[in-house]
Amino acid sequence: MNIHRPHRLRRLFALLFATALVAAACGSDGDSGATATSECGTDTSVAMGDSVTDLTFALVAPSAKDDLAFTQSMVDSLTRLGIEPQITDGTFIVEEAAAAIRGYAEEGVDVVIAHGTQYGGSLAEIAPDFPDTSFIWGTATDTQGLDNVFAYYPEADQGGYVNGWIAAEMTDGAAMGVVGPVEAGDAVAYVNGFIAGATANGAPAPSVVYTGSFSDVALATETAQAHVDNGAQVLTGTSQSTVGAVNVAAANDIPWFGTQSNQEAWSTDLVVASQVYHWDVVLDDMIESIEGGTLGGEAMAITLQNGGLVIEINGCYGLDDSVVDGAEGIIAEIIDGTIDPT
Amino acid sequence: MSDFFTLTVLVGTLASGIRTAMPYLLAALGETVGQRSGVLNLGVDGVMLLGAFGGYYTVLQTENHWLGVLVGLAIGLGMGLVYALVTIVFHAEQGISGIGIFLFGLGFSDLLFQELVGTPRPIKPLPKVEIPLLADIPHLGPAFFQHNLLTYVAFALVPLTTWMLMKTTFGMNVRAVGENPQAADSLGVSVAQTRMGAILFGNTMAGLAGAGLSLQLAIFQHNLTNGLGFIAVALVYFGAWRPRWVLAGALLYGMVTATRLRWQSLDIIPRGASDVAAMAPAIITILALVLLASRVRGPAALTKPFSRH
Amino acid sequence: MTTSTPLLELRGITKRFPGVLANDDVSFDVRTGEVHALLGENGAGKSTLMKILFGLYQADEGQIMLRGEEATITSPTSAIEQRVGMVHQHFMLVPTLTVVENVALGLHDARKLRPDLDAVGARIREISEEYGLEVDPDIDVWKLSVGERQRVEIIKALYRDAELLVLDEPTAVLTPQEVDDLFVILRQLTAAGTGIVFISHKLHEVLALSDRITVLRNGRVTGRTVPAETDRQQLAEMMVGREVDLAPDRPIVETGPVRLSVSGLHVTGDRGTPAVVDVDLDVRGGEILGIAGVSGNGQRELAEAIAGLRQLDRGSISIDGADTTGVTPGMARAAGLSYVPEERMKDGAVGEFDVAENLLLVDHGDSRFIRNGLFDRDQIETHAARLVEEYAVKTPTLHTPTSSLSGGNIQKLIMARELDSDPLVILAAQPTRGVDIGAAEYIHRRLVEQRGEGVAVLVISEDLDEVFALSDRIAVMFDGAVVKIFDRADATRESVGLAMTGVV
Ligand SMILES: Nc1ncnc2c1ncn2[C@@H]1O[C@H](COP(=O)(O)OP(=O)(O)O)[C@@H](O)[C@H]1O
Ligand SMILES: [Mg+2]
Repeated sequence: MNIHRPHRLRRLFALLFATALVAAACGSDGDSGATATSECGTDTSVAMGDSVTDLTFALVAPSAKDDLAFTQSMVDSLTRLGIEPQITDGTFIVEEAAAAIRGYAEEGVDVVIAHGTQYGGSLAEIAPDFPDTSFIWGTATDTQGLDNVFAYYPEADQGGYVNGWIAAEMTDGAAMGVVGPVEAGDAVAYVNGFIAGATANGAPAPSVVYTGSFSDVALATETAQAHVDNGAQVLTGTSQSTVGAVNVAAANDIPWFGTQSNQEAWSTDLVVASQVYHWDVVLDDMIESIEGGTLGGEAMAITLQNGGLVIEINGCYGLDDSVVDGAEGIIAEIIDGTIDPT
Repeated sequence: MSDFFTLTVLVGTLASGIRTAMPYLLAALGETVGQRSGVLNLGVDGVMLLGAFGGYYTVLQTENHWLGVLVGLAIGLGMGLVYALVTIVFHAEQGISGIGIFLFGLGFSDLLFQELVGTPRPIKPLPKVEIPLLADIPHLGPAFFQHNLLTYVAFALVPLTTWMLMKTTFGMNVRAVGENPQAADSLGVSVAQTRMGAILFGNTMAGLAGAGLSLQLAIFQHNLTNGLGFIAVALVYFGAWRPRWVLAGALLYGMVTATRLRWQSLDIIPRGASDVAAMAPAIITILALVLLASRVRGPAALTKPFSRH
Repeated sequence: MTTSTPLLELRGITKRFPGVLANDDVSFDVRTGEVHALLGENGAGKSTLMKILFGLYQADEGQIMLRGEEATITSPTSAIEQRVGMVHQHFMLVPTLTVVENVALGLHDARKLRPDLDAVGARIREISEEYGLEVDPDIDVWKLSVGERQRVEIIKALYRDAELLVLDEPTAVLTPQEVDDLFVILRQLTAAGTGIVFISHKLHEVLALSDRITVLRNGRVTGRTVPAETDRQQLAEMMVGREVDLAPDRPIVETGPVRLSVSGLHVTGDRGTPAVVDVDLDVRGGEILGIAGVSGNGQRELAEAIAGLRQLDRGSISIDGADTTGVTPGMARAAGLSYVPEERMKDGAVGEFDVAENLLLVDHGDSRFIRNGLFDRDQIETHAARLVEEYAVKTPTLHTPTSSLSGGNIQKLIMARELDSDPLVILAAQPTRGVDIGAAEYIHRRLVEQRGEGVAVLVISEDLDEVFALSDRIAVMFDGAVVKIFDRADATRESVGLAMTGVV
């Protein structure tokens, strides 16, 4: 049976739950939904929440479901909403993904999440064939005019800005290196936000390399090494290929800023802060629409404002309280619009 | 541009190019021997992935790098047996079988990784071995003589592979069965056994290359090789089936990769040109080999199964 | 061993391939110190018989006796162990290996780390000297001439102490000079006691070299004889199974005006090197000009240039007075040229097309075959049926795929199509290569017939017998140039053979 709760109430419930969860994990009270400082040694894995819906879900994603990056951010978000989707992951070959998306729709799954910008073309072909199925696609800033497709994207420049600002606090004018994947989508937003935040806080412009691949670990590794050789004192990067870069940071004792997922698990001592994507905020709105009979037609962003972006500061790193306070100030200014991170 | 010519950056670039070249070189040397015997293996990348996972997982569990290397070798050998069975015993079409091996390696390495590890966890990287005296030479030392052992092994295997191909009985048989298996057969050289040997060598090297990659990067991830094995196969072709040209190709590929990353990091290549920069290593390497390597014909019996009737 | 025990005796060998009885109860023997020729048309079963002897095939029935004892030969290795050596029709050499390596292959177990190439090289030099088999052991085989490669093959067998040596069509690829050299070597070998099986379909060679002759046709022995008791005519009839006319009568014909003229022609070959160098030729109506030469001396490029299939660098070509320099193949045809290409399956016919379609290939624009803008099926069939009948093309139906016909019938089909268009000039390249004697005889008759009708005929052939049988004049090509033009009356096999090696 489908219990239909009023809109506001359910959102509040979800937010409360998420806050409770974060609070439980951190022990320190989060001042807003937008920062969280974990206590050192806590498990950063996400626990299954209470189910918010009876809809059935499937997820098709390009990298592994526990990549500590892009795909995991979606899996964790669904977990928080108490949803256990059927998963086809690692489908970086678009044709394979398309087959999986169509397969789930044919099976009668209510909501199919196509978690990859590159799946847009396939979706434009598939979605019209299944008007009763809702497709959720991201990261994308529009729905390609399809009314059974929801799109989602992060305003990743916000977290990038915060990370960049913190990094500038720590480096005192030294060089910083950014390991970018392909020059597109939220990667560019994050990188540009990082540069803006760092330079706004008086640091020289960080050096940026786009490797040309989301998945080439060797390239990311060598890029990080290049930054280190150039004297970088802080490294950051985005995409699943950055596992290699984190290793280089670890080998050289250089702090790392993460994005997409909480990357503390890679290296507890080095990850200063991570911008974490909480897709659950927009997913929740979408679920509500779907249950109300609207299967798509809107693009939704996660932001610091709506709590979809959370800056998780690693308690083990031991960032000065003053810096943490400063970061929180920056976040507040982004939320209230005083700072435009782009 | 002037930034690039500071010694530290140059040294860093050289070292990075050599590191990058190592797995390409190992895989391509193995494939060179395989192809010289007349067998194309498009499954190199898949075997590398399995070797990479095997090596990584072993080190994750035991912290013993040499055990990891051994496991990589053993996995390569095992996959070689499979490939030999499919192509030599069952005469299956080599192109298709190779792609099959690749897809198997890609899927199975990921499955094992998901089941046994899950979230990528770093391992201890392969230790650097500084060659006594040479490593202390200013600049040259850090560029050339401070690498992990597998890198030295890969480079040492270049003359060894040439020697094996050109001077040993096995190598002579390999060249003969790759060129004219009927002729070899008519003199009592077993085409099947010779090709089997070459396949085992090639796959073992691919397994080693995979383990070398994951142990050097100290991590494993879905599709860690990212098509590296296919580039290795291309290097064999464009390197005209000669180990020294294959070496040149692998080194050039590594060096261009390292250089373009450094240039990007120094803003010598502007940010908007990253797509072009990413294609540069393959394009430059292939162009250079096409222009420089003597354009000899490939093994005449390449991809052709042998039977007497 | 007494002389009455043959070195080799094959008894009642039968071998079937799917749909083909390749050897049917064949018996054959070789004594020490003799050359026993195995003569037969393409497809008669000669190679099959010898491959059975060499362990490459297994006989379905019959026995192999070596030195009076029954032998089982299951592989080339076991043949070699029993001192049988074979020089295959298609050389069994690895071109990228050196001579020594080619000889050393298989001598050493692969478990022996390094082959002892020095010792092998020394032994090769000994053998070379003993039998006059000159060759540099350290050179890569691809650099050797065909004649030299054949010597390497013989050395390979002798190195393994062959007492019985089989040579499968060894002269097919040699110049007349090289054939003479080979015969000297073979006689030396027999003098030293080796037994030799000499396979050929060339009558005069068999007569010149052998001690005994066995003729095969359709897998069966159809004649056994010795040279002293036979001649070419009789051997040809044993091969073909009926009367044949080896040299068609060439009635005296008044020659007409120059129909094909080539002057100062230069053409570049596929490898970018000069292939045709300053060639001048005139062929008159009512004349057959034969071009002799070992293949690869520019004949193919010359033919393609005349046919409009290859660009020329310099010079001019005219057909019946009209300038056809650098024209398209269609324009050359329109000027009166018919072309029978060397690669008949590649350039002459489309294998997947049926017989009727191939007969139409060059005429498809012809208004006779088109009605209402479409092909007129009935007209096409009538046309095809007439040509098949007239040119004796053996085909089950008009709609049989051309690729399933025999070489001789494909060639007749191409001839039918080409001659039917009433040409002024016929250019025929290797018109009877790989074609059985019967079909060759027929093709020759047709060419001579065209000559009688005043057509200018240019025949390019590697087969000296063919050139001599047809030509009024003989031009010899070497290294891209026409080194000499003989009148038929002045030409001898020796003088032409010598010119083919560039000596004039
Ligand atoms: N491996 C084979 N499979 C099927 N048929 C074959 C094979 N080898 C030869 N033949 C057929 O056997 C017949 C005899 O061939 P072959 O011995 O090569 O003749 P020759 O050497 O006298 O020209 C031909 O009809 C040929 O097509
Ligand atoms: Mg034959």
